[in-house]
Amino acid sequence: MSSFKRDKKEEEDGGGNPFQNIEKTAVLQEARVFNENLINARKCTQILTKILYLLNQGEQLGSTEATEVFFAMTKLFQSKDVILRRMVYLGIKELSSVANDVIIVTSSLTKDMTGKEDLYRAAAIRALCSITDATMLQAIERYMKQAIVDKNPAVSSAALVSSLHMTKIAYDVIKRWVNEAQEAVNSDNVMVQYHALGVLYHIRKSDRLAVTKLVAKLTRMSLKSPYAVCLLIRIACKLLEEEDTANDSSLFDFIESCLRHKSEMVTYEAAHAIVNLRKTTSHELVPAISVLQLFCSSPKPALRFAAVRTLNQVAISHPAAVTACNLDLENLITDSNRSIATLAITTLLKTGAESSVDR
Amino acid sequence: MNGCLMEPTLYTVKGIAILDNDGNRIFAKYYDKNAFPTATEQRTFEKNLFNKTHRANAEIIMLDGLTCVYRSNVDLFFYVMGSSHENELILMSVLNCLYDSISQILRKNVEKRAVMESLDIVILAMDEICDNGIILDADSSSIVSRVALRTDDIPLGEQTVAQVLQSAKEQLKWSLLK
Repeated sequence: MSSFKRDKKEEEDGGGNPFQNIEKTAVLQEARVFNENLINARKCTQILTKILYLLNQGEQLGSTEATEVFFAMTKLFQSKDVILRRMVYLGIKELSSVANDVIIVTSSLTKDMTGKEDLYRAAAIRALCSITDATMLQAIERYMKQAIVDKNPAVSSAALVSSLHMTKIAYDVIKRWVNEAQEAVNSDNVMVQYHALGVLYHIRKSDRLAVTKLVAKLTRMSLKSPYAVCLLIRIACKLLEEEDTANDSSLFDFIESCLRHKSEMVTYEAAHAIVNLRKTTSHELVPAISVLQLFCSSPKPALRFAAVRTLNQVAISHPAAVTACNLDLENLITDSNRSIATLAITTLLKTGAESSVDR
Repeated sequence: MNGCLMEPTLYTVKGIAILDNDGNRIFAKYYDKNAFPTATEQRTFEKNLFNKTHRANAEIIMLDGLTCVYRSNVDLFFYVMGSSHENELILMSVLNCLYDSISQILRKNVEKRAVMESLDIVILAMDEICDNGIILDADSSSIVSRVALRTDDIPLGEQTVAQVLQSAKEQLKWSLLK
């Protein structure tokens, strides 16, 4: 009976799951199919998925094994199947650190990134940048600059994000792409704007004057992307913290104005920023605290958590300012999320008077 | 105050993981080599995370100095990890995007078997959501339009009666289970 039960359990688990009990050697053996003249896209995609799955489970490939698979994989560029091609890009990214001579695919990827098929271009840029080194970057620089200002948001984002990754190996080259990034900041696309701002800031962050100018310009033009606004708030905070004089009113006013943004993500970011600024006076805290107070009764646990955690931090330096929220915090003591309840209790201990302890 | 300000950087996500209902990894990506240098640390972290979250459906938890937001369905658990100074709502937007894209890819059939059957597309979707810790896109419909490329769907007019009945049955089953 027990064996029957186990069989049934195994059947339930393994039935239709092609990834149960696969072995590295067997999959590597299967990968030889890649070298055949006629490519069966479905089958090859399946095998590639198995390889990626194995690697993701923590299986290690030796450099010879990896190189062998890598080279077999390059044969798959002959196929026109979109999913297969995209899986090949993933394989390239995954194996680029282990296999030797990975630059062999440079020309194939360059062709894909400049080709007509939009579904390939963005992904090809990211794969290409994962195998490119500082010297090779010069060869593709022209294409990268074009890609950053491309009309297709996915392509533009891919190029911007890849540039940011590559500043680690070739800062001097990426530095020259400022104009393109500047253009991308004006994009209508939420993500492109965010990525462009991230790249611009990273390139300029050692030049204080340039950052000040950048922030001054962007705070005036009201960014569309909530992600970009969050990032801008953080940059503004950094400038405020570095300044020796009193709070620069225009920067602080910008952060305060974000408390009224329509996205919760931004209002929370602004409130968090204001309460954590070193020079915030207790008077300036008030609007930020009321935003957090509102979040305390939100139906979303993440929002309640964020609010009570920030209030907990304020309670250390300005316990008086938090007392206004005591009632809301008391309601959170019985919250179903234990982290929220704990945070509420510790905050109350810092702010609460005897009367609330009794309850 | 005490330096709790968030660093202005695009590198927001420390990790994304999909686990099954035994806490085993289905697919996971870690983007911070310092926090998770090897597979062993990742496993231990996942075990810990799973033990702390699989019974309490609380959506958010702090673990090992990381903020983890999560969500579960039938026999799957989805996690997004970020630094403890990170804006929780940004992490939440990534998690929602991950869940919604997978749900659309699997046609609302979010369970282990379905994920395994379309693992290639699920991996592609994860790759489109986050690139080495940078949020690449957080809009599930644009993610799906870029990865769910299978065209072997038969239009409604050309389906046989049996096929239509079958898909209706499936939909009914799932609406009842919810």
